[in-house]
Amino acid sequence: MSEREDSGLVRHLGKILAAAAAWAFLGAMVLPAAQAQTSGEPVLIGVSGPLTGQNAQYGAQWKKGFDLALEEVNGKGGIKGRPLQYVFEDSQADPRQSVAIAQKFVSDPKIVVEVGDFSSTASMAASPIYQRAGLVQFGFTNSHPNFTKGGDYMWSNSISQADETPRLAKYAADLGLKRLAVLYLNTDWGRTSDKIFIDSAKGFGADVVASEGYQPDEKDFRSTLVRVRDAKPDGIVLISYYADGALIARQVRSVGLTQPIVAIGSVYSPKFIELGGEAAAGVYTESNFFPSDPRPEVQSFVTKFRARYNEEPDDFNAVAYDTIILLAAVMNQYGTDRKAIHDGLGLIKDVPSVIYGKATFNPETRRVAGAGAVYLVVKNGQFELWDGKKPGS
Amino acid sequence: MDETGRGGVIAIAAKRSSSAPGGLRQSARRSPNAQSGRRSANTMPKGLSSVVRVLPSDSSECHLGSFIDYTVNGLVVGNIYALLAVGLALIFGVANLINFAHGSVYTIGAYIGWACITCLHTPLPVTMLIVIAACGLVGVIIERVGLRPLQGSARIAPLLATIGISFVLDQLVQLVFSPDPRALPSELPNWQIAIGGGTIGALDILIAGIGLLSAAVLFAFLRFTKLGWAVRATAQDREAALQMGVDVNAVNSAVFAVASALGGLSGLLVGMYYNHIDPAMSFQATLKGVVAQVIGGVGNVPGAIAGSLVLGLIESYGIALLGTTYRNLFAFVLLIAILVWRPNGLFGGRAGTQAEPLTGTFIAPSRPLRVPRPALWMLVALAAALPLAIPSPYVLQTLTNAWLAAMLALSLTLMAGTAGQISLGHAALLSIGAYASALLALDLNVPTLLSVLAAGVVTGALGTLLIFPAFRLRGHYIAIATLAIGEIVGLVILNWESLTRGAIGVTGIPPLSVFGQDIYSAQAVYWLCLAVVIGLALLQMRLLGSHFGRTLRAIRDDDVAARCYGISLDRYKALAFAFGGFGAGISGAITAHLFSYLNYETFNSQVSLSALAIVILGGMGNVLGAIVGAVALVGLPEIFRVTTEYRVLIYGIALLLLIRFRPQGLLGTV
Repeated sequence: MSEREDSGLVRHLGKILAAAAAWAFLGAMVLPAAQAQTSGEPVLIGVSGPLTGQNAQYGAQWKKGFDLALEEVNGKGGIKGRPLQYVFEDSQADPRQSVAIAQKFVSDPKIVVEVGDFSSTASMAASPIYQRAGLVQFGFTNSHPNFTKGGDYMWSNSISQADETPRLAKYAADLGLKRLAVLYLNTDWGRTSDKIFIDSAKGFGADVVASEGYQPDEKDFRSTLVRVRDAKPDGIVLISYYADGALIARQVRSVGLTQPIVAIGSVYSPKFIELGGEAAAGVYTESNFFPSDPRPEVQSFVTKFRARYNEEPDDFNAVAYDTIILLAAVMNQYGTDRKAIHDGLGLIKDVPSVIYGKATFNPETRRVAGAGAVYLVVKNGQFELWDGKKPGS
Repeated sequence: MDETGRGGVIAIAAKRSSSAPGGLRQSARRSPNAQSGRRSANTMPKGLSSVVRVLPSDSSECHLGSFIDYTVNGLVVGNIYALLAVGLALIFGVANLINFAHGSVYTIGAYIGWACITCLHTPLPVTMLIVIAACGLVGVIIERVGLRPLQGSARIAPLLATIGISFVLDQLVQLVFSPDPRALPSELPNWQIAIGGGTIGALDILIAGIGLLSAAVLFAFLRFTKLGWAVRATAQDREAALQMGVDVNAVNSAVFAVASALGGLSGLLVGMYYNHIDPAMSFQATLKGVVAQVIGGVGNVPGAIAGSLVLGLIESYGIALLGTTYRNLFAFVLLIAILVWRPNGLFGGRAGTQAEPLTGTFIAPSRPLRVPRPALWMLVALAAALPLAIPSPYVLQTLTNAWLAAMLALSLTLMAGTAGQISLGHAALLSIGAYASALLALDLNVPTLLSVLAAGVVTGALGTLLIFPAFRLRGHYIAIATLAIGEIVGLVILNWESLTRGAIGVTGIPPLSVFGQDIYSAQAVYWLCLAVVIGLALLQMRLLGSHFGRTLRAIRDDDVAARCYGISLDRYKALAFAFGGFGAGISGAITAHLFSYLNYETFNSQVSLSALAIVILGGMGNVLGAIVGAVALVGLPEIFRVTTEYRVLIYGIALLLLIRFRPQGLLGTV
């Protein structure tokens, strides 16, 4: 069912027919092929995430990554011959619904591992239930520093802020910027990143001269940018997602600021360029995932993604894909028992990963360290590798 | 609260090199001597936002330059609010209704515009015409299908219907266009005018032009045309207008068409302005539009424009003073101040009489369903025995959620149903209770049972104190005030980092425990919550049967008469809010201990709206109704879970049908 759900959705009004036809065709192609090699009772992953409500687009992004990974896993014989599938329960990223979903999953013996939820509010409210029931809660987007401290059944391969943010600071320093103004999304993620950024910037010899939090539903940044301007920065740092990052980049230019913009890897999405328009040009960012990255894991993922969805993959697609591949590897190696998956996560080594190259968990923190990254800059309407040129030179 | 003053002050001795308007792009270019700025602090402060304040010490020109920029930016964003507020004001003026679906029409307009521009490649004027026509049609449909059948029913019914309609429309947009944000490129020439340090573009001027033009046209229409007179006559007294031969339905239809066309057009323009549209943009739009029109005077079209500009300015100056996260705090505090001191709005003047009802027409009068006492006890016994029959933790968790919602609904049904004070910000009480209990347990090691009780008391006291300034308001105004107070509570929690841990939230909240025994299992939690609900319900029934309940109903039905009988309105309202706050606080506190994690969004405005829906469903003021409503409204979305994407849509339609066919609720109002 999950394989086909997307096929009914109309994505682009102008491409209804073409898209629908292509998707139906792909769906029809994929399913029999997958089933030919797997049989028996499916192995079920429980997904708790937003399909409706404010964050629904992220749930939709996940699905694309999941479906692609499942196709690959089941094409290679599934989990020891059994097909791997997921059950996606819509939580709207609402904690009241995620706890009910948690109870549903833990009491269903067919669910062997849980993935999600999207927001830390929803994930961490459900953590006590998963912990007590002994079902792994794999919060692959939960970078909240306390998420995996909820118990030894909370695991995450989300890129840790302690990893990513200092790299952003280094990039800013490499660009020759000394006085930075930070705009951060005022959530647990943005707030944590901001703290780390301020410290690590100092280590690279740059000062943070202004630091402004903003609400996720903020659309107007002009007044905020006057504050930024008055702090006289020589560079603007965005700790944002792609949608709000694009809004800020546009307004930075319209209030007459000309400083270079350095944005954290979460803006890495084709949508950033689409939404940012001309203002996105020249924005510096880094990414753990870059489609032109020659690594074979990346290339195989990007090729398959483009073929199936006819669009460019982004970070959320990649991390969702990684998650399924990782869990499948754990299950194939250590078994599909809930306890076996928990133990296996701590034991497994060097799973091929789009984000990490090779993913290995630290059994203490239950997180993965060492995501590689590339320096990027927006040029000619796309992300390109940074050519080493400093702004203004 | 915020530590701006202590740590992060930077004195910049450097002169601002150029803030001259001539330098369009270069004006804000960093000055070469900026480095001479001296950092007086060696560490960054822990305060949430506004970590740095810039004190341009020797340059008054800089002060002035920034002030001008803040003013221009305030006007630019106010300009955008104005487009929304005009449509809302028009509908309020005629239908006496806060149209919560206005934001949804705005979203639809944006998406229709997107479809025209990207698929049909229409030029901008044609796109605008298509959007106007299509959204006008949507407005007519909303009025005809959603609101006209509700004529003559309680005033609360159309208000709720607009909420239901907004659910349905937002969901439809999301299903058709996917939730991903989209770019809506502007086709206007990309010229800019430099003002102060910043610039304004062609689109700013177009938005201002359309805002002013539409207000002027509407003003002239209402004042000088026959149909305009009919509209105003309908607004003043519907029945009288009907008797004078005014086709009231046609008038309403026309008003919705005009207002919705304007709403859709503003969606298109604002979408182009930000080059960004998404299906979730409607709620914020409605919220800001409502605030703006209240500031300008509810139902006052020119006032709505002025109010929007004032709102934009206050927000901008608020950001200048304290930082970006304080923007909405300024907006909502301004709203409360206006409601308390000038409820007719800044520009309402003498003419804006309150058309609010003196008697209880806000509530649908009906005979409550009598449930015999033995049947009640049977229900209680059934509920208590359920975990033994159905041990599924999922079912029990869902019902536990229902009991927690029922505690909130009991509190709301007392305030809204019995005392007649409709609250749209009830989730704030949950937040207060949850934070109180979590922080007591974590920071002071208070045993959880005690901290939950203390949280109830704190919430009762704090909730009453917060709502106190709004006691003199009635009807819609109290609904708007409570909405604002709810938002204020959330924003204070977000910004008061030293106490509440701000955006990071509170983690590691200990589970509930009774006499050293942790309550973990779904069954135990279920029984505990059920017991609390039954206890609160019994207490509330007892109170309603006493002279206290009669007095509250007297206030609801006719507060002038009640006052004539020597009833102190404020005292009784305060008692009702204190008791209601206690129950809601307990609900929030238990939730906090169950979730173990809490942040300012755990109880958002959606929770307030669903609490209101529960109360309406059960029947206003009806104790048993609140509980039944909670079970139904928490349970229904779970039952619809199989249909994932369509679930909210079905929920919205179910709500609409209910309001249409049983406005007094399942069990009737008390």
